[in-house]
Parts: sequence; structure tokens; C-alpha cells
Amino acid sequence: MISRRSFVAGTALTAASLSTGARAQASEVSVGVLFPTSGSGAQVGIDAIQAINVALDVINNPHPDLELPLAKGSGLPGLGGAKLRIVTADHQSDPQKGRAEAERLITQDKVSALIGSYQSAVAATISQTSERFSVPYIASDNSSPSLTRRGLKYIFRASPHDEMFSATMFDFLDGLKKAGQKVDTIALFYEDTIFGTDSSNVQRKLAGERGYKVVADVKYRANTPSLTAEVQQLKAADADVLMPSSYTTDGILLIKTMSELGYKPKAILAQAAGFSEKALYDAVGKQIEGAITRGSFSLDLAAKRPTVGLVNAMFKAKSGKDMNDNTSREFMATIVLADAINRAKSTDGAKIRDALAMTDIPGEMTIMPWKRVKFDENGQNNDADAVLLQWLGEKFVTVYPTELAIAAPKFPMSKA
Amino acid sequence: MTLQSIVQILASGLLMGLIYALIAVGLSLIFGLMDVVNFAHGEFLMLAMYASFGLVALTALDPIVLMPVIAAVLFTVGALAYVGVVRLAMRARANLGMVQIFATFGLAIVIRGVSQLLFTPDYRNVPNVWLGGRTIPVGGIYLPVPQLAGGLVSILAFLGLWLLITRTDFGKALEATREDAGAVALVGIDKNRVFTIGWGLGAALVGIAGAILSIFYYIHPDVGLPFALIAYVTVALGGFGSVFGALAAGLLVGLVEAMTATILPPSLKSIGIYGLYLLVVFVRPRGLFGSL
Repeated sequence: MISRRSFVAGTALTAASLSTGARAQASEVSVGVLFPTSGSGAQVGIDAIQAINVALDVINNPHPDLELPLAKGSGLPGLGGAKLRIVTADHQSDPQKGRAEAERLITQDKVSALIGSYQSAVAATISQTSERFSVPYIASDNSSPSLTRRGLKYIFRASPHDEMFSATMFDFLDGLKKAGQKVDTIALFYEDTIFGTDSSNVQRKLAGERGYKVVADVKYRANTPSLTAEVQQLKAADADVLMPSSYTTDGILLIKTMSELGYKPKAILAQAAGFSEKALYDAVGKQIEGAITRGSFSLDLAAKRPTVGLVNAMFKAKSGKDMNDNTSREFMATIVLADAINRAKSTDGAKIRDALAMTDIPGEMTIMPWKRVKFDENGQNNDADAVLLQWLGEKFVTVYPTELAIAAPKFPMSKA
Repeated sequence: MTLQSIVQILASGLLMGLIYALIAVGLSLIFGLMDVVNFAHGEFLMLAMYASFGLVALTALDPIVLMPVIAAVLFTVGALAYVGVVRLAMRARANLGMVQIFATFGLAIVIRGVSQLLFTPDYRNVPNVWLGGRTIPVGGIYLPVPQLAGGLVSILAFLGLWLLITRTDFGKALEATREDAGAVALVGIDKNRVFTIGWGLGAALVGIAGAILSIFYYIHPDVGLPFALIAYVTVALGGFGSVFGALAAGLLVGLVEAMTATILPPSLKSIGIYGLYLLVVFVRPRGLFGSL
């Protein structure tokens, strides 16, 4: 039995080591990385860690040919050349496990910051934990707008959220309409966690503002065994544009069920997630030739910015895949964080937070089509632009915005 | 809502229901035989789908042709699960029920973990199958060929199971062991052998379901979970241990699910199934056709 005195002493000791000990100047800086590496989102998490490992390579080793912050030298000069290292944790797509793992990383592994987490629902709990311990959380690939609207001081998101993504999607539709295409009705199809719900709320609002009629509004249960009844509703509505917000499993099932029920949508304009994943196109790519997804990354940018191609080659060597919407954002989040830690010249969470708030990285120093990385008072980067990618001839082609596009969009997608 | 879409929903619900029934009957069989709920049932389904994926890659034959092989593979898996895990768990001296639950539950976690390690968590698909992606339109109603074939196979499997149980010596031994495992030993029936074959048979049935499912569903180490959950409800609804109950309940679950998703927002479609389940548990705890 533990006596009260020794318990108090132990607690005090833990608290003391937490505040000073491991977070002092070190030759290594630890960052906690939270992704699903088991369960239905596992492959996304495994790819994410590969992408972050590429970023570590860029930061810790000299890469004179890359135009990225901290690439040319080795380690973090602001901390005497300290190397960045990651401690990974598996949250299994479960918000409660995400909270527990974030707490463990902060208290046991003494990480200076956190990066995660793919699912927005998990990001919601991680960011609360990070706030409580005053350790910054970089939402690398979470896209729910509400995450950066809760008055939290320790969450930062360099990439666009779904409101920005959806605005781009509707700008695109407006453009088509102006060009004489028939785009009057849309169908919303979204999963029932925070990602799908937030995404559909934004899309419903934008549709109302810009004069599109929502003819089907289908909220479905994530990871369901069957989507027949749901697809039947989509088919009955037969909208001009189908806008799904789905993770990979449901995305595959959606496409398969559509083809089984003889429904060929006129156009698909997806809120990324599953529709950014190669796995989905490996499974059903032939059935959705011409599907468009929003993204924050375009490999086509490599023609203008050689760094994009070089980083992609590094990632491909590790994972055998091209970078996509998710992995590019996870990579960039790590670079943005490292830049802040370097400027903070400290491993203390609060100092890193202040440095993050002062971040100002020009777009040319990223691998993204962004104007710059600069956070507002909520930790959101408002200078991140979205792109639209169309799945044509077994690869993604940038079709919007026009200045980045390398091909005209094929619309409607079922056009011969 | 047009008549056409109502018929479509009913048809889709029935076809899915036949597959739910085929998944559930193996579970029901094992439970009826020895009062053990196999919590690794969903993982058996997942293994069957990977077996289908692997065999198709290896032989370039169709999952429909490979179905007997997949069933045989799963028979082995089921028999091994009994001999290697459940038989040992049943030797527990105290808290037998709990030990059995945790043994099969633990087996499920192990199978899932090892599968992720071996097969990676990438989503797989069986490519270029004969039946994949084909549909038969009948007056505006679309009947997907894989599900039609699945329904047919499911009915045949139930027929075969019924014949096996009612017309063969093994069926009689199975029935006798179910009635009184102690007494059968006196007439020279090896209880362990019957249990081993029973587990193999239960797994082989879910193997057939997995072969069908692999034609039109993605394959992933976690794919068994949503199906297993429905299988437990189906078994409880139909009556533990009842083969006919599993068939009837599977069809009912498929129909109720499809109808709920049409009437309510689809995100609430499980309410129909679980509402029905609660009702049956309250009103008729042994299930619709249970003899427990």
C-alpha cells in the first residue's frame, strides 16, 4: 500500500520532471504523432507516419536541393542542431483513445508538440488535451471548420478547412454554370461523424446562398455493411452533382452499390478523405472515371516547383505511392512545426505555441499551392488555397483553379 | 416514393438478408451445439474473404468456383479454433462462461492483429470476377448478380445444412450431443469429435458467405466487425441454436434495415434492427424460433 506521503512526493516529483527535466535543451526534440495504425483507418495512418518520416529526413539531414524551411542544414540550428524525432501512437480512429494517447505522449514521453490525426472527431479530443497541458497540436489533415473555432490557443492548422474547400467547389460549379453547363441540383451524401456533418452543413449553406437546389440530403452511418437504401435515394433524386463526404470504406461501398443499382451520377465532386486515397481508385477507379475531389495538393505543381517532385520521390521510395492530399499535408505540418520549434529555441510547449503564432512561410517554400502559411488568432491558416483534382486515365489531373489547371475539366463525367 | 423504388428496396433488403442469414447460421450452429458464443465469428468471415482474395490471385479462378476450397480452408480454421482454444477454455473450473467469452474474444483480437500484420491494412478487392458489377434490370428494378448468386448459394447452403442435420448419422450425433453431451459418451459418440466438426461446419458456412461477399465488398482486416454485430442480433432474434430461425431472422433484419433507412434518415437505420431485437428480447427472450 502506498502511503499518502509517498504518493504526494511521487506526484510532486512527476510534476517537477514534467515542467523542467526532459524539456530542457536537448540534442533531440520529441514530437508526438497520433494516427490510426490499426482498425479501418490503418492504412492512412501508416502512410501518414511515412510522410512525417520524410519530413524528418528533410529537417535532420542536409538537402541543399530542396526549397523548404530547415532543409538545407541539418537539425534545428535554433536548438544547437538538435534533431527532431517522433513518438508514434495509435488512436484506432477512436476519439477516447485519441485523448488518452495524447495525454500519455505528453506526460510519459514528454513530447513538445503533437501532430495528428486524420479523423476530425479524434482531433476534437486531442486538441482539448493539448490545450489542458499547454502543448501545441498541429491539425495536419483534419478538415472540420469547427476545430479552430472553439477558442483554443494550442491548435494550429496550416491546411484549408472544409468551408474553404467547399467554397472552392462551389466557385468551380459557378464557373461551369456560367460556361453554359446545366448545374442546378446537388445531392449531399455524408457520414455521421463530425467530418461528414460539418462538411454537409457548409455545403448546404453554400448551396442555399448560391442558388443550388439540394435534392437529396443523405446522412448515413459510417462503416455500414450496406448502402442500398441510401443509394436508392440518391438515384431517385438524380442530381446534377453528387457531393460525397466519405472515408475510404464507405466510398468504395458507395461506388460499388451505385453501379449495382444502375445509377451513374452525372458528376461527382467529393470532399476528399476516401476520394483522395489510391485504395479507392484501385478498387473502383474504372467505375468513377471523371470523379472530381477537392485537395490541397497537386503533383502537377512539380512542373513549376521542383521541390514538389523531389519530396514526392522521397516519399515514393519509402511507401511505393505518390503523395496525396493527406500525406502532403502531414508532411507540411511537420515542416511548419519544426520551423516554429527552431524559432522558439526551446522545447517548451508555450514558447513553441508563441513561435507558431508568429509563423510566416511564403508559399514558394512549401510543397502546396498555398499563398503562405500564417495563422490567424484561432490557429487557422487562411492563405491556404484548395485545388480540384479529376481522376482521368488512372491518375489525378488538376482541373481547378484555372491558373494551376493542366487540363479542362470533363463535365459531366459520364460524357463520352 | 414510387412503387418501383419500394420494390427495389424490398428486393435489396431480401438479398442482403439472405447473406446476413448465411453469416449468422454458423454462429447459431456453434451456439446450439455447445452454448458457446463465438466472438471471433466476424474474423472468420474476414479470413474467408482474404482466402478468396488470395486464392483468386493464385489460381485466377472465380470465387464462385473456389467456394468449396474456401469453405474447406475455413473448416480447418474453425476446427483448429476449437481444438486449440475453445477446448482448452472449456476446461476452466470457475467462471466457465466468462472464460469462454474472453477466449473467443481474445482469439478475435489476435486474428485481426495478425491479419493486419500479414495482409497489411490496405483495402483489397477481388479483381475481374465473372459476376462482379453485373446487374439484371427487371422493369426498372436492378438486381445485382453477385447478390442474386449469393442469395441462391445461401438458400442451397441452408438446404444442405437441413439435410445434413436431419438425414445423416452425423446430424443425429450432432443433435444428440446438443441434447446431452454427457449421455452421448455412453453410446460411444466422441463428444470432442462432434464439437470439432461442429466448429468446422460453422466456420465453413461463414466461409461460403465470405466467398460471396468478396465479390462485391472491400476486404480489410476489420471488415468482419459490422457483419458480426448484425450476426449476433440475427442469432438472438431467430433463437439461439435454431437453423431455420437464423434464416428467418436474417431475412427480417435485411428487410427492416432497408426499410428503416428509407423511412428514417439512413444514419439511424440500425434503430430498426435493434428496436426489433429489444422487442423480441422483452416479449420472447428465447427468440422467434428458439427452443432454449
